[in-house]
Amino acid sequence: MKKKKVLSLALAAAMVAGMLAGCGSDTPAATDNTDNAATAEAPAADDAEAEAGGEEVAAATLDISEPVTLRWYLHGSNVTDDTAVLEKVNEYLGEKLNVTLEPIWGTWGDFDEGSTLAINGGDNIDIYFTCSWSADEYNQYAKKGAWVRLDDPENNLIEQYGQDVWAALPDVLKEGALIEGSDGYGVYAVPGFKDFGTQNTWDVNVTLLEELGYTLEDIENRSYYEFGEILQAAKDLKGDDFYPLNVEPMVLERMVTNSVIVNGDSGTCNVLSYYIDPTDVSTDIGSVIENKFATEEYKKFVEQTREYYEAGFIDPALGNAQTSNDVLMAAQSSASYLIGTQSYALGYEVQTSAERGIHVEYVPCTPPYVDKTSTQGAMMAISTASKNPERAMAFLNLLNTDPYLITLLEYGVEGVHYNLTDEGLVEFTEERDNYIPWRNGMGNITLLPTQVGEGDTDFFTNTFIPYYESAKAIPAFGYVFDSSSVETELAAVANIAQQYAMSLDAGTVDPETALPEFLEKLEAAGMQNIVDEANAQLQAYFDSVE
Amino acid sequence: MAQTTNIKKRKRRINAVSVQTEILFNVIMILFCLACIIPFIFVIIISFTSEESIQQIGYSFTPISWSLEAYKYTFKMGQSLWRSYFNSFYITVLGTILSVTICVLYSYALFRRDFKYRKFFTFFSFFTMLFGGGLVPTYIVCKQLLGLNDNYAALIVPLLVSPFNIIIMRTFFQSSVPEELIEAAAIDGSGEYNTLIRIIVPVSKPGIATIALLNALAYWNEWYTAMLYVRDKAHIPLQYLLMQIQRNVEYLAKNSSGLGADAIKAAQSMPTQSLRMALVVLIVVPITFAYPFFQRYIIAGLTVGSVKG
Amino acid sequence: MSKATTKQRKVSKTKSAKRKKTLMLLTMVAPGAIWLILLRYIPMFGIVMAFQDYKIYTKNPTFINNLRHSAFVGLKNFKFLFATSDTWVMIRNTLAYNVVFIILGLIIPVTFAILLNELTKKINAKVYQTLMFFPYFLSWVVASYFVQAFLDPTRGLLVNLMKSWGMVPIDFYNDTKPWPLILTICNIWKNTGYSTILYLSAITGIDSSQYEAANIDGASKWQQVLYVTLPHLKTMIIILFIMNVGKIFNSDFGLFFNVPLQSGPLFPVTQTIDTYVYRAMMATGNYGMSTAAGLLQNLIGFICIMTANTIVRKVDEDSSLF
Repeated sequence: MKKKKVLSLALAAAMVAGMLAGCGSDTPAATDNTDNAATAEAPAADDAEAEAGGEEVAAATLDISEPVTLRWYLHGSNVTDDTAVLEKVNEYLGEKLNVTLEPIWGTWGDFDEGSTLAINGGDNIDIYFTCSWSADEYNQYAKKGAWVRLDDPENNLIEQYGQDVWAALPDVLKEGALIEGSDGYGVYAVPGFKDFGTQNTWDVNVTLLEELGYTLEDIENRSYYEFGEILQAAKDLKGDDFYPLNVEPMVLERMVTNSVIVNGDSGTCNVLSYYIDPTDVSTDIGSVIENKFATEEYKKFVEQTREYYEAGFIDPALGNAQTSNDVLMAAQSSASYLIGTQSYALGYEVQTSAERGIHVEYVPCTPPYVDKTSTQGAMMAISTASKNPERAMAFLNLLNTDPYLITLLEYGVEGVHYNLTDEGLVEFTEERDNYIPWRNGMGNITLLPTQVGEGDTDFFTNTFIPYYESAKAIPAFGYVFDSSSVETELAAVANIAQQYAMSLDAGTVDPETALPEFLEKLEAAGMQNIVDEANAQLQAYFDSVE
Repeated sequence: MAQTTNIKKRKRRINAVSVQTEILFNVIMILFCLACIIPFIFVIIISFTSEESIQQIGYSFTPISWSLEAYKYTFKMGQSLWRSYFNSFYITVLGTILSVTICVLYSYALFRRDFKYRKFFTFFSFFTMLFGGGLVPTYIVCKQLLGLNDNYAALIVPLLVSPFNIIIMRTFFQSSVPEELIEAAAIDGSGEYNTLIRIIVPVSKPGIATIALLNALAYWNEWYTAMLYVRDKAHIPLQYLLMQIQRNVEYLAKNSSGLGADAIKAAQSMPTQSLRMALVVLIVVPITFAYPFFQRYIIAGLTVGSVKG
Repeated sequence: MSKATTKQRKVSKTKSAKRKKTLMLLTMVAPGAIWLILLRYIPMFGIVMAFQDYKIYTKNPTFINNLRHSAFVGLKNFKFLFATSDTWVMIRNTLAYNVVFIILGLIIPVTFAILLNELTKKINAKVYQTLMFFPYFLSWVVASYFVQAFLDPTRGLLVNLMKSWGMVPIDFYNDTKPWPLILTICNIWKNTGYSTILYLSAITGIDSSQYEAANIDGASKWQQVLYVTLPHLKTMIIILFIMNVGKIFNSDFGLFFNVPLQSGPLFPVTQTIDTYVYRAMMATGNYGMSTAAGLLQNLIGFICIMTANTIVRKVDEDSSLF
């Protein structure tokens, strides 16, 4: 009797739930239809324009008769008051494009969650920041259909409304933006012109080094495997609580084994490696992707690191994902290290020397090189949910070519957020504290005036651009790993890698036991499938290039 | 002899535990409470620790040097700090009142054995404790269907009903309201709402106070809904102000390799470690002042025994 | 007026009274029910994501359209949970910790509630109770700093203490052995205050005359606890127990993720289903996978609750959940 009751009750509940779910999907669907009706016109207008554009081939004239609001989702901002800036920006954009800009100031902490929800939920946002490393992965969402293909042969937005920005960008960035997406191989976002080369360097505390009786050449002429003597000298001088080797374990591993992150690999802990020649990064040295943990180089590296760890050169706290960064930065800013790792940016030695109160030099392991990860460091994608992709493209075009607009958006209003010194350098006021967007996360920074402390007025044209344009591309530059067919394996492998990789790279566990265990588990989780798939794709890429 | 012990006993409450036992009880509770409060004292110490000391010896109960820097920085936030304080108070008070009302009404109906749909509605709320649509669909419904976007409602509505609290409240009713009381009220011809307000609520004060406390804490501690639905600085609650800083720091740590040099630059503009702790202090202190208010009802019954009878 | 009509009127009167009562009670349920429909039942359509290769419908990317146009992939999204040799480890950890937490989370708060109730100075009870709640305010991230202050391999208080006693200090963040104990202590530390208050307010509802009667009958304090307090708390204990059983396949993410500082070598004792899913999500960004994992966890929880509830109902119908 009772059982029956429970059953019927459960059934009733399930039915109601079903009904509710049913009407649930009805309600939003109803609002949908209106949306449909609204957008149905837009694509039609699009097509007409595309045809017109197709005949002329040249840039299409933008129809700006209707006022449009563009919603723009940014990353890494620290903005509490944007009214003064937006007033000026919208006045200017209103004249130029009949556009009102509505930025959404995503912060480091909320961007990943906020933007992925907005993308997946189809929020009414026109332009998103996107890149190769944060959660709104450029490749991943291009494949899922979140971004408008900008060089779509049927409706080439770049040719129609973005010719200026395309002309202004270095070729390597344009090439870096090419990926496989929902509408085929093409460009799905406008890359930002910022420091796009990768250069891993030893971060050397020269003040201490000289105190120990060594010179910078001693570091330059030694490999990682020969640092022991110098590190020991530092340890002897400074005592037990001093850890001379201050490293980011994963970066250290890449520096020593000369490996490059395979773009598209699992975000926080990469498992696939592509190897480069450290003297000339563009040479083809066989070009295969490997399970990086199974290589001889890796074994040699972790054994050496373990030795350094046991000798007390590495702080044990560097082996925990959670504390690693805090410890690293604390040691850097208090200058209590001898050799560290640093992914280099131009002009960094001056800046850090001043901050840490010591003489800092960076010893490069390779010349600066370009891979997909670095060229996709900061981009702007137009959402497929945008009702005005043309206007969005025109805005991006202006943003990346108009010094007035980008300076206004990046630095704020002159006289309010910053003043120009006599030499024409930017000096920020206190008001700037309320308006600090992430500079590299917006657009073409080479259009900006130089900041005090950055260099002279021509810093960007004379120093910055030549340095990065000298960067060579790695042989597999155009290749992106598509993990969709091995997602299951990748999920398992990422977990296993997080269990072992960081502690092996920091030397906190003994490779003698941990490494074989690690490899065995990877094997069981289907690591080989991932490697095979990646290599098949890589080969296909090389074939297509030839 | 017998008389003296009697007198001694009379000094203590009749039917109380022996003095020795009570001392033991106190010792146990004091030890546990120390374990609870010491971490918070630790947080307070860190918030006053100078950044150099943290860099040299890490977090410590005995820092090398002290500093007021973290608090100075917080108070420099000025308006946005006070604004977020106000927001937190506002949503906590309003949210607690609304959610307690809804919870008491719902669970009272579930408590009534003669309610025809009692079992259905019990299951109806319980089922949602386990199954939900997940983050994306909930986000869509809240934002696009209900318009919970940059307003106070966005901070109040998502936490309004808790199936857990409903079931707890029902259990409180079950254990503190005798059936006869309702039957008596029914004979009196008292209306349902009348019965609830005049008769049931006074008897159930400890339970209601407990639920109110749990709701108030939930509202005060909540930051996730703020992260999802509120961008407008004017509506940000205090807890999210803290979490924003916390999450920024964590994000930069996690993505330092992807960001490269940018991460270091960004991290340098981050507030210091002592500041993170100062914000924890600023969050916890106000709610501890609110605590005795609820406690009055929860503990009050202990000495007098129940109100019923 | 004949007797029959009065009777009829009486019947119809009670009938309409009944209907009125039901209606009144329905209005009481209404606000909560409407909320549940809007914020819980309507979003449930998203569960289909667990069986889909979720894609954005580029032509008109609203969520409904995305769901409508995404391809179904069967149980593919569930596979990653079983694709590793660690599946057993994470299930074992999740279950074992939960069993310990449920048992201790019952015994300790009930004991504390009874202790607090017996204190003669109510001011003490108030102070204790306030202090017990403090851990609830500290997030696991903040708690992890505190734990670290004790266990840090170079500067930790406990480690220094061990050194000064001439012991070889334990390398806490690389040694799995102490962690089951550490995590259990952390869990008790954080949740005891919350549960104690629930039991304490349930005790408050006990009629003091029951104790007096027991006292007059010569019952010792211990007997009073056994025969008056505990039976009264029974319903609350059982309800909380059943609800905890429903979460047996879920874990407190922050406890297992942040408190061990995400240290890799500790995974064998800290990896739970939730941390595994989180790390997998970070690698693949596939919402379908996390939806699938959640669905599976809740399904098992649901079965557990139904079983527990059925058993309870057989023994004592009043204490059952529904």
